[in-house]
Amino acid sequence: MLEARLQTGSLPKKILEAVKELINDANFDCSDNGIALQAMDNSHVALVALLLRHEGFEPYRCDRSLALGVNLVSLSKILRCAGNDDIITIKADDNGDVLSLTFENAENDRISEYELKLMDIDSEHLGIPDTAYDAVVQMSSNEFFRICKDLGNISDSVQIDVTKEGVKFSVKGELGTGSVTLMQTANIDKEDEATLIELQQNVSLNFSLKYLTNFTKATPLSTRVSLSMSGEVPLLVEYKMEAGYIRYYLAPKIGEDN
Amino acid sequence: MGIHGLSKVIGDNAKEAIKEDNIKNYFGRKIAIDAHLMGMFYRTLRMVDNGIKPVYVFDGKPPTLKSGELAKRLQRRKEATASKEEAEEVGDQEAIDRFSRRTVKITPEHNAECKKLLQLLGIPYVDAPCEAEAQCAALAKAGKVYAAGSEDMDTLTFGSPILLRHLTFSEAKNMPISEFSLKKTLDGLGFTMDEFVDLCILLGCDYCDSIRNIGPTRAVSLIREYKNIETIIKNLDTNRYPIPEHWPYKDARELFLKPVVTDPDTIEIKWESPNVEGLVDFLVREKGFSEERVRKGCERLEKNLKSATQGRLDSFFTIMPSADKKRKAEEASGSKGKKKPAPAAKGKPAAGRGRPRK
Repeated sequence: MLEARLQTGSLPKKILEAVKELINDANFDCSDNGIALQAMDNSHVALVALLLRHEGFEPYRCDRSLALGVNLVSLSKILRCAGNDDIITIKADDNGDVLSLTFENAENDRISEYELKLMDIDSEHLGIPDTAYDAVVQMSSNEFFRICKDLGNISDSVQIDVTKEGVKFSVKGELGTGSVTLMQTANIDKEDEATLIELQQNVSLNFSLKYLTNFTKATPLSTRVSLSMSGEVPLLVEYKMEAGYIRYYLAPKIGEDN
Repeated sequence: MGIHGLSKVIGDNAKEAIKEDNIKNYFGRKIAIDAHLMGMFYRTLRMVDNGIKPVYVFDGKPPTLKSGELAKRLQRRKEATASKEEAEEVGDQEAIDRFSRRTVKITPEHNAECKKLLQLLGIPYVDAPCEAEAQCAALAKAGKVYAAGSEDMDTLTFGSPILLRHLTFSEAKNMPISEFSLKKTLDGLGFTMDEFVDLCILLGCDYCDSIRNIGPTRAVSLIREYKNIETIIKNLDTNRYPIPEHWPYKDARELFLKPVVTDPDTIEIKWESPNVEGLVDFLVREKGFSEERVRKGCERLEKNLKSATQGRLDSFFTIMPSADKKRKAEEASGSKGKKKPAPAAKGKPAAGRGRPRK
């Protein structure tokens, strides 16, 4: 049986916003470590990996690992009924077929209860190898959001070049070209806005802006985002949360190989 | 054509082996296509538009075992011609259309025209020494292409790891692509490849007769019990199930397991830019296509060829067998077969076999 209580209603709402565009249905894998989710989008181009560690809940109880198959659109409909300051408690029985959600509002003594029907989901689990990335860029999540939005107007794919000086996002579209370069920040006064680069080797990769823009739906979850890249392997975009993370993997676009 | 009733047998015994998917999700895939089809220009464009890289495979000399089947087809064509004439007299347009489709025979001239068109389009093709399905399967097995695209189920029997059906159906029909996995078929049936081939022969293939009165269910259980046709024959009540007098099932088996194909490693597959003027000459001046549409099509071809292909995660990460068998209560129940996710969840049909929502 699972029972987990979250102090703020806004967190699960933001998480749902960050995943529901990419995937329709997914299993929430609950264990004594916390709640995890891994799912690929339909075309197997992107993958979302979410982890909410048990420390993030108060209290958290999960006696036996269980997978809760959920339609994310349905879940987000229910979560929309919760206030941002509501305390959310989720419960599920080991062999139950519903997920129950309780929203408590301390201010006006209001308690709402919902039950979401669970589903059987055959999801393909991907084994993600530990990768030592050639380049890791840490930057402001707002900045990344803006770059994707701006460049998305010009083209559907972006080239990302990382050197030790900085990171450059460039696009070529029918109307013309564009680029945004962020220099590695020397002083780290404004921690949230700094651009930090760890580099083993320069990289230059192409990615779909449609997907990147989708990932930036996670911007409200963290002020920082990290982009990890190596030649010809999927990009890792990570938003760290207080007790967990949301990671997106995106397969690169590949030039002609025949 | 192909294997009689095989798709149903797979659907009943190895549901996991079939998945339906939108053509859009096959971008970047190289697919070997069994080339007996019409409307090649637009269908090829449709595939290329969706980012698929087609390789066409043409039939070579039919195997001698197929002569019986071919004679039957000739007979059917004759009947169709007669029925068509009859329908024409009555003026039943629907019937005319139906029968005229059946009277089509692919002539060497037609093949030559298809090849000429492909050359102009810059789409590669392969001449199979014998059956095209077998060559497609060999290309897929060797990893030269992701899958074989064919309507004939025997492509699986020839050992193609993945078979795609409905790939070349027109857009108007809006049919999802059916993807059959050989491995999951074998797993679901609990058969080895040899047993599967014998099953296909029992179901009825193009190369020899099957045993009368043995339907798909019995065929599966016979193979499950006796493993091969030899043992089945020894144990079968031949009064109820008469074995065909001259029954070259061994030859058919040999044909499936060791088909005559060109070694895939010697085949070079290359996509090139289309020859626009050549296409206009051929399609517009000789075939009466609209010049505008042909030129537009060429632009699309070139664009798709030039733009970088979106990679897929499954070529970088390994898919792990789904470890969590949850909600097993429903796992075994019969209801799951027909349950399809609501169209709202337009995604992977594999997902959403859950209990009905609202």
